[in-house]
Amino acid sequence: MKTVEEINQRIKDGDAVVVTAAEMTRLVKENGLKETAKEVDVVTTGTFGAMCSSGAFLNFGHSDPPIKMSRTYLNGVEAYSGIAAVDAYLGATQPNRNPDVGLEHGGAHVIEDLIRGDEMELVAEAYGTDCYPLTEIKTQISLDSVNQAIMVNPRNCYQNYAAATNSTDETLYTYMGTLLPKMGNVSYSSAGELSPLLNDPYFQTIGNGTRIFLCGAEGYVIGEGTQYATDVERKNGVPVSTAGTLMLKGDMKDMDPDYVRGATMPKYGPTLYVGAGIPIPILNEELASRTAISDEEIACQIIDYGIPRRSRPMVMETNYHELKKGVIELDGVEVPTSPLSSQKKAIKIAEELKNWIDQGEFFLTQPIKKLPTKGRTVKPLEIQRPSILVKDLKSEVLILARPTDDISEVARKMVQNSINHLPVVDENNKLLGIVTSWDIANAVAHGKRKLTDVMTKKVIIAREEEPVDVIARRIDKNKISGLPIIDKDNTVKGMVTAEDISRLMGGD
Amino acid sequence: MKAWLNFSPSIVNKTIISDLIKNFDIHFNILRADITPKGGKMLIEMGGNQSEEAIKFLEKEGIQLTPIKKVVKKDEDKCIDCGACMSLCPVKAICPADDWTVDVDDKLCIGCGFCTFSCPTRAIKVTE
Repeated sequence: MKTVEEINQRIKDGDAVVVTAAEMTRLVKENGLKETAKEVDVVTTGTFGAMCSSGAFLNFGHSDPPIKMSRTYLNGVEAYSGIAAVDAYLGATQPNRNPDVGLEHGGAHVIEDLIRGDEMELVAEAYGTDCYPLTEIKTQISLDSVNQAIMVNPRNCYQNYAAATNSTDETLYTYMGTLLPKMGNVSYSSAGELSPLLNDPYFQTIGNGTRIFLCGAEGYVIGEGTQYATDVERKNGVPVSTAGTLMLKGDMKDMDPDYVRGATMPKYGPTLYVGAGIPIPILNEELASRTAISDEEIACQIIDYGIPRRSRPMVMETNYHELKKGVIELDGVEVPTSPLSSQKKAIKIAEELKNWIDQGEFFLTQPIKKLPTKGRTVKPLEIQRPSILVKDLKSEVLILARPTDDISEVARKMVQNSINHLPVVDENNKLLGIVTSWDIANAVAHGKRKLTDVMTKKVIIAREEEPVDVIARRIDKNKISGLPIIDKDNTVKGMVTAEDISRLMGGD
Repeated sequence: MKAWLNFSPSIVNKTIISDLIKNFDIHFNILRADITPKGGKMLIEMGGNQSEEAIKFLEKEGIQLTPIKKVVKKDEDKCIDCGACMSLCPVKAICPADDWTVDVDDKLCIGCGFCTFSCPTRAIKVTE
């Protein structure tokens, strides 16, 4: 048994034994738990991942005449300024207001630029008051010129996070990166055995007030993060999926651009790569055994992002040792994997924090209040207008075509029923293709007579159990005007068109 | 060598590629192909003893051959070695080193551009 005070004295004396979480795993394996627990004083952890829930409080200082800013833009990225007169919160995922820049340079990039020391344009608008008469300003600011630039990240360092794959036939662009069709790849985001909260899974040492490494500066845990959960399934003591999170704070004026990076997940948006490292004092054998956890012992679920619902189905459960090999077997097929969070930087952060402690520049803290260890679950948001499913749509009389139908007959069917889309089916009503009025016009123009020559065979479909909002997105994304509704046996049940959906959204 | 073969509509029905492989001592790999009755192009990689003769044959058959040197380059300052690109590369040209540095292999790259578009920090560029 050791105390934090004793460890800090050893750090001061230059006698503390500090190892990274990866080294600890090896040491316990080689020298046994008892000896390692006695020998090692501190284990350092690290992670460098895309953490969307991040941002910065900025205080710009008062102009003359003064202004009470109600809207602020930093190089075109809006910061929330409904806080006093010259304070603002710049969120990492905020896109640029200039549509040509959009997702390419958002809040996260501005945060990085600030930390790099770049000058940037501040535009502020206000409604004007007796004490703050100015209604607009345009000026230049930098990290040096602002009074405070304090990073406060509401949710960082997820304790574990599901890996992602995509079972659909189209590429998906998500916050988990680009997901290739037909489960063509898997992306995972945790640093595994190096990750801070996987090394102290019951929050025995990490709590309110814990001093940490944040983006190259000294930072603090200022409480539980948002979406914090405790009551989760565990294996080897660690959650098998998302659980604990941390709210972190640090002074951007001390940060190092090497350990923070603005990034854009393609067609998703800006996100901030945050470098965080947390030291864990080895006070007893239990903490030694917790920090000795290996990638193999940390479970990770692979989730299908092809289903855009709150609860996405699990494809399989694996572990970080398997994921880090670069390929994983899914349904008998070898599928390549991507880490998304930088394993190299995670190691570098754990090493850097170790270095700080070795040099006597960083001391450990006791939490002033522990984080909750039970009774926390993540509640869903119930929406008042429940999602309307495809099967709830009022279905018109189903009109179908057969591949052998003559073009003129199909044209007549369309005109008689005033429809623009006709699913083409076999004798069991199974989908073979689709024709539109445009296809028919095209056939007439080119003298084609057979339906099979003009119909589209690769059909984008809607399933009965899908929410209409998902279909609206699909219509928009594929630039189509209608799609057949299919049951699980590929039988055509109806048609849903862009007009049906706009009528529905219009509340008609 | 890597090259684009351009097929005009008049030759898409000829069996040029199979003749090429049967008649010359070359090894040959089709990396990309997009050929319709209106013509199209094919990206190939070719090597072997009779490469030069093979090229002459292709040109004689009416194929326009444009050798390429695509260069895939990683901007070391921008790259954070996150590895988002690794699982997207169809030819395993992007692999992690022992210390998890993301390495891109110019020789294996076919210039598909999946990695450049999906890189969160826009650190990879493919240029011809």
